Order: sequence, then structure tokens, then C-alpha cells
Amino acid sequence: MIPLRGRSTTTGWTQPRTDIWQIARPDDPRVSERALLLDDDGRTRDGAGLYISKDQFLSGPGPTVHVPDELGHLAPGDVVVVSDDGTRVNVAWKATATHNSILLTERCDHYCLMCSQPPKDGDDSYLYGRAKRIISALPFAAKAVSLTGGEPTIDPHAFLDLLEHIAATRPNLSTHILSNGRRFSDKAFTTEYASVAIEDMMVGIPLYAADPSLHDYIVQSEDAFNTSVKGILNLVAAGAGVEIRVVIQKANVAQLSELARYITRNLPFVNQVVLMGLEMTGLARPNTDLVWVDPHDYRRELREAYHLLSSAGIYTRIYNHQLCVVDRELWPAAVQSISDWKNDYPDLCQPCSVKDQCSGVFSTSGSRLSPNLRPIVDVEMSS
Amino acid sequence: MPLRFHSLDSDRVVVSNLVGEHLVLARAEFDEVVSAGTPSPETLSTMRARHMIRLPDETLPVELLAMKLRTQKRRLADMTSLHMFVVTLRCEHTCRYCQVSRQGTERGEYDMSQDTAEAALRHVFASPSPQLKIEFQGGESLLNFELIRWIVERAEEINELERRDLAFVIATNLALIDDEMLDFCEAHRIVLSTSLDGPEDLHDHNRRRPGQDSWQRAVDGIERVRDRLGTDYVSALMTTTEESLERPEAIIDSYVDLGLTGIFLRPISPYGFALRLRGGGQYDAKRWLEFYKRGLAHIIELNRAGTPITEIYAAIIAKKMFSNNDPAYVDLTSPAGIGIGGIVYNYDGSIYASDEGRMLAESDDQTFKLGTVDDSWTDIMSSNRLLSPLWESYTLSSPGCDQCAFEPWCGSDPTFHHATMGDFAGHKTFSAFCTRNMGIFTHLVELADSDPYARDLLWTWGQR
Ligand code: SF4
Ligand code: SF4
Repeated sequence: MIPLRGRSTTTGWTQPRTDIWQIARPDDPRVSERALLLDDDGRTRDGAGLYISKDQFLSGPGPTVHVPDELGHLAPGDVVVVSDDGTRVNVAWKATATHNSILLTERCDHYCLMCSQPPKDGDDSYLYGRAKRIISALPFAAKAVSLTGGEPTIDPHAFLDLLEHIAATRPNLSTHILSNGRRFSDKAFTTEYASVAIEDMMVGIPLYAADPSLHDYIVQSEDAFNTSVKGILNLVAAGAGVEIRVVIQKANVAQLSELARYITRNLPFVNQVVLMGLEMTGLARPNTDLVWVDPHDYRRELREAYHLLSSAGIYTRIYNHQLCVVDRELWPAAVQSISDWKNDYPDLCQPCSVKDQCSGVFSTSGSRLSPNLRPIVDVEMSS
Repeated sequence: MPLRFHSLDSDRVVVSNLVGEHLVLARAEFDEVVSAGTPSPETLSTMRARHMIRLPDETLPVELLAMKLRTQKRRLADMTSLHMFVVTLRCEHTCRYCQVSRQGTERGEYDMSQDTAEAALRHVFASPSPQLKIEFQGGESLLNFELIRWIVERAEEINELERRDLAFVIATNLALIDDEMLDFCEAHRIVLSTSLDGPEDLHDHNRRRPGQDSWQRAVDGIERVRDRLGTDYVSALMTTTEESLERPEAIIDSYVDLGLTGIFLRPISPYGFALRLRGGGQYDAKRWLEFYKRGLAHIIELNRAGTPITEIYAAIIAKKMFSNNDPAYVDLTSPAGIGIGGIVYNYDGSIYASDEGRMLAESDDQTFKLGTVDDSWTDIMSSNRLLSPLWESYTLSSPGCDQCAFEPWCGSDPTFHHATMGDFAGHKTFSAFCTRNMGIFTHLVELADSDPYARDLLWTWGQR
């Protein structure tokens, strides 16, 4: 688990020209536009736009933010957001992380029972602009980004504008969008989306049940299923990549195989299907009684859905599942999917022989874990 | 939305939608559905998911149904992909059920000529199909291997410009295969399809030849082809005779022993010589169904015990039950596959709408003769001799079929119904084609409904 935000203090503060800073190496020729980290003895070089110190007393030869110990992991290649008064630092990009996501909005037209990022209604349109600045500040080595919300397409123009910005500045940045898919039911929008010249772009769209009313219940929104499926059809027709995301929860476990059949029969052309475990945070917590189900108890359903999909030639992955509660024949499909910054292994995992291959648990899920986690001691896995 | 149903037994009913997605319901529950009563939420939920019912203002289910139907019928626009060349009628076998072959005749009279082959190839490439499969038949096709060689090379030459997906199959009893032929097959990636009726005694009883060594030669041939060309280049077909009916397990085991991974449990065809007493054809569809069910049960047990073997007819139907893919099997499709799915060029240059149609002609019924290789492709394809049987037998407008829950999985067989009933559509209540297929459909539905292993196996077959 990696903390991503902290309170900071400042020295020599003058409001900097931007809130987004890439942490550069000292030999970076564009150091005036970037931030430099002070080394342990407080050494650095002149000319940086901002100095970041992990020590409360050492400062650089210009405006300096002193970050708390939690942010001691900051390193060149990371991108941080610094509030105008220098009292808050958020990590927008972790160079060493496999998953980096950018939040585009907290607004959403769904209100899913198990939403881990509960929607908020206020005007947060500044986030799209900030996302553009983060893209501009990304280190050269950045490979993949995930655009999340809320619903990233809630402002269609700002969304497309951001994609055009990525296409113009980082066309090789593999871009994954987590959307409820409804906006794509608009053909004109989808055509415009599909024409954006980003090399590798995919939308992950949730489908929770094959029965429209069950899906609509889970996402707490009318006509959601029909609209999202139309979105998927439009995307495929426009030649765009689509992933279907199924979060397995109490309400849909019994109908998981029906959904798998539905996908093979109606949407066999999607690029992949992801069967996901719950992250017990956000709305999932107050709704625990409505959503929680122990993965150990749905092993059969998971196996069946996986087989239905993969035997039909649909590339199927399993996210957020601990190996010890998944059938062994499904292990090759189980991906270490939990972002580094919220990934944890409870103490009981210590003796486990497959820990290196296991996704572990969401630190954000707190104590809401399967009571059936058991270290695996009889397998030698090659890593 | 359009749905059809069929009683499985007194307690259960299978319901199907326009494209063949299906659901088995308890009769009481089914009655609730059709009487607008109060079915359980689970039933309603599944019926919505399987596009059997929808809310009044929903349009997506209709769009998806249309898309699925389009996918299933997509190949229609491609037209004929299977082109059968009868390169000779001569044969060194005297099989009991054979309908067409000539024995002991000299080269010439019953062989296809190069001129005829050239004219037939013009028809092959006149078909707009992006996939073209040329299948050589007989008689014993290898008796005219010289012509096969010429046709393959000529077709490949034409295809240098045409750029179709061109494939060749030789149907042969393999008794005469030699190294030179194998070299040629290897160089041109030709698949060999042979006949194997089961264990040695049964096979040799059915398939007679001087020396009574048909089985041994077929088995040796299969092994030779497999060693030289690989497993995918040889397949075997069996024909069920009276004597087979009691021995499905032994027949299947003989395939397994040979390392074959697929078997097609086929009924004997009622055409030509086989209709007469020459042997083996005098049993009805019901007995054949018993044979089929026993055989399928054995195949499922083999799979359960770890020996993978596919029953090909069930696999064809499973594809229709569980996917929108068209198995491209000309005998189970509607509109029928005659002419527009597969077409036959006889040794003498006459063109038949189907292989069975050619066999009928051997007993002087020329109904399915569409013309000759000297006619134009357009004339052949637009003639009433082809169009009448096609539209008269179309399942969605055939009495019986139009109401049948299995219509999306079934097909029409105008040749069979013409031969047995004198009518292209046939009276389905008395049709052996219908009895046989309906029997298999209900059996597969019941298997999938009652045995999870069988359901998974059928599903897997259906997705290939
Ligand atoms: S014990 Fe821990 S590391 Fe091992 S499989 Fe379970 S959750 Fe994963
Ligand atoms: S032939 Fe029989 S089984 Fe086939 S569709 Fe017609 S009525 Fe149904």
C-alpha cells in the first residue's frame, strides 16, 4: 500500500505557475519547469521550478514544499499536484506503479450499490483541465493511463478534448477508460470518440446481469442496461475496443452464468470480459448487507462463468480475487489487478507460497475480507 | 417476442426464441407464462435475458435478435461454397448400401473428362463465395487420380487471380492410396475423407471388395495419411446399417482405437439402390434414434472418463443451440443447402443440386438435375428447378416447421422429402427426417437440462 496524499509545509513560498509538477532528475534540461527532490543531506541544484524536501527543516534554493513521511516514497518520474498555498500534496502519477489513474469527475448518472468512488454532484469541471495538465507533465516512460470517475464522459466535450490532447501529445499512451457506457449510445459521440488517434484505447463498461431490471437495480438507474448495451454495440461498430466489467456481488451471483451466456450470444465481439471481486469501500460499506458475498462461496459460479466465456473464445480475466478462494484451474486467468497504492497482504499471507502471484486484498476494504483466506503451502509456483 | 414451444414430457416444456435460444420450464410454470399469469421472477428474468419477452417499449432486444439472425444467415449471401466433383463412377468395392458405383468397367465411359472438369471449374469460380471447397467423389475417386491431379493444379492456377480461400477434399475408401498420391496430397494440403463403418467384421460385411480386406486397407490408409500429413488431414464417416444398430459402442470404440477424435453417427440414406432390398436400409427412424442415443451416451461417458471424442451431428446442432455461428452443414439449414450451399458436377457433365439428387437420378428421377456444365452459372442458379424446391421447402413457411420450437436448429431437405413423399416440403408428421431430427433435438435438450457434464460438453462442441 502506498499513501497518495499528505499535508505539507512550505519555505520561501511564492505561488508557483502551475499546480502539476513532474519530479525530475537533477540532470533534466527542462528542470525549470519541473520539481527537484532534495537528497538526504539537503543537496540539490539551482533553477528548478519547485523543490520538494522530505525533511521538515532542509529547503532548496527556491520555493520548497516539505512533504510528510508518508510521501517519503516520492521519486523522479512521479507527478504531484501541489495546492496553491503549498499545504497539500497529492500524488497524481507513480512511475513505478503498474496502474495509474486520473480522476476526471466525481459526477455520475449511476449510483451503483457497491460504488467504491461514490458520486458527488458539485461542479468539478476543473478536473478535466487538471487531467490535461497531468498528461502534459507525464514522464517520457509513462506507458498506460486509466481515466476514471465518476463517469468520465459526463461532460462529453471536455472528455473528447482531453482525448485529443492525449492524441496530440502522447499518442502511444495506452488509454483505458472506465465508463458506464451510456454516453456511447449516442452514435455521433461514439464516431467522434473512435476517430481520436490514440494508438491503444479501450473502454471498460460494466454489465452486472443479463436481465435488464437486475442490472438497473444494481446501478440504481432506469434504462441503464439497454443504454449501456447500445453503447457497446456502437463502440464495436465504430471499431473501438470494449471490455465488459462484471463486479460479482450478492445480487448477481446466482445469475452470473446467465450473463456469461448473454455475452457469448449477444456481445461475442468484445475484446475481453473481466470478472471482478468487490472493493468494500465507498457505498459498498453502508450497503454491505446488499452487496457482500464471500468469493469462497461463489467458486462454482465463477468457474462456470469463466468456462462459458472462455470456451466461446472470449478472452476472460479474473480481477481482485485472492488465489486461495479461487479454483486452481482458474489461477492462470487471475490477474494481480489491485493498484499498488491500495494493495495489501494480511498477516496470514506470510507463509503463502503463491503470494507473489496473488492479487492480495484491497487495503481500502478494511476488515471486510473473505473469512476463508488460507495460505497455500503445497504449491511451488515459478515466477 | 416470437416464441415457440414443444412438450418434452408431461412435466416439462422447452421454449425457444426466433434464433434458437432456449429454456426448459416446468409445465405449470410454462402455463403461467402463456396464460399471462404470474410466473416466478426467475423465469421472467431468464426469458428477458434470452430474448423471449421484452417490455413494451424496449427496442434493444429486437435489435439484438435481428443482429443474431443476420449473423446466422450471413453465409447465404456468399452462395455456393461446396463443389462436389464426381470424377468417376467406377469402384472396386461392392458396398451393400451403395447407390451409384459401377464395377468392373473399363476406364472411359464412367470417368469425367478434362473438358467437363474445365467447364465445371468455370462454375466453381463463378460462385461468389470467398470460401471454395472442391470435394472429389466417386465411385472410388482415386481410380481417376489423374483427373484429380489435373483439377487441383488447374484450380490453383485460376485461384492465383481469384484469391479465394480454396480447399480440397478427396472422399475415398483409401484402398488404393499410394505414396505418389500421398506426396501430391501433402504438397497441395488435400484432406482425405474415408469410410469406416466400425469393427472389422461389420465394416467388411457392409463394404465388400475382392479379398474382403476393405477394413484393413482403410485402417492402414488412415494411419499412413496421419503419419504423412497429420491428424487433421484424415477423417472418417460411418454409415449405419441394420447390422450396426445393435453395436454403437463397438463402432465408436473402433474409432477411438484408431485415434480418431470425431465420429459422425449417420443414418443410411433412403436413395437409389439402398431403397431396394440390396441390403441394410430397412429400418425406421425410431430404431435409428435408439442407436443414436446409445452411441451418444457412450461418447459422453468416454469424454467423462478422459477420452475426447466428438459426435459431429450433435456438435453441429450444439452450435445452433448455443451460438449464432452457422455450422455450414448443407443438410441442416433453411433455406435448404441444395445448389446454394453445395452443388454436384457429375462425371458426365450434368449438374445436380445435391449428392442425393444425383443418386435419385440413378433411379431415373431427374428432378434435381439443374442442367449441365455447358449452361451458364446464372441460368443454373436462377432456374425454377432450383428455386422451386428452395422456396417450397423453406422451414418458416412449411406446415409443421413454422410452428416448431426446433425450427431455428433444423433445416429443410427437399431431396429427401421428394424421394420419400413426392413433395419438396413433405408432411412432417410422417417424415423420417422430422422424426429423426426432432428426436435428436429433444434428446439433446433433455441431456443438457439434466446432466451438467453433458451440457458443458455440448456447449464446448457448439463453440468450436
Ligand atoms: S493466503 Fe494471501 S497471498 Fe495466499 S492466496 Fe490467499 S490472499 Fe493470496
Ligand atoms: S422438420 Fe420437424 S423438427 Fe425440423 S423444423 Fe420441421 S417440424 Fe421441426
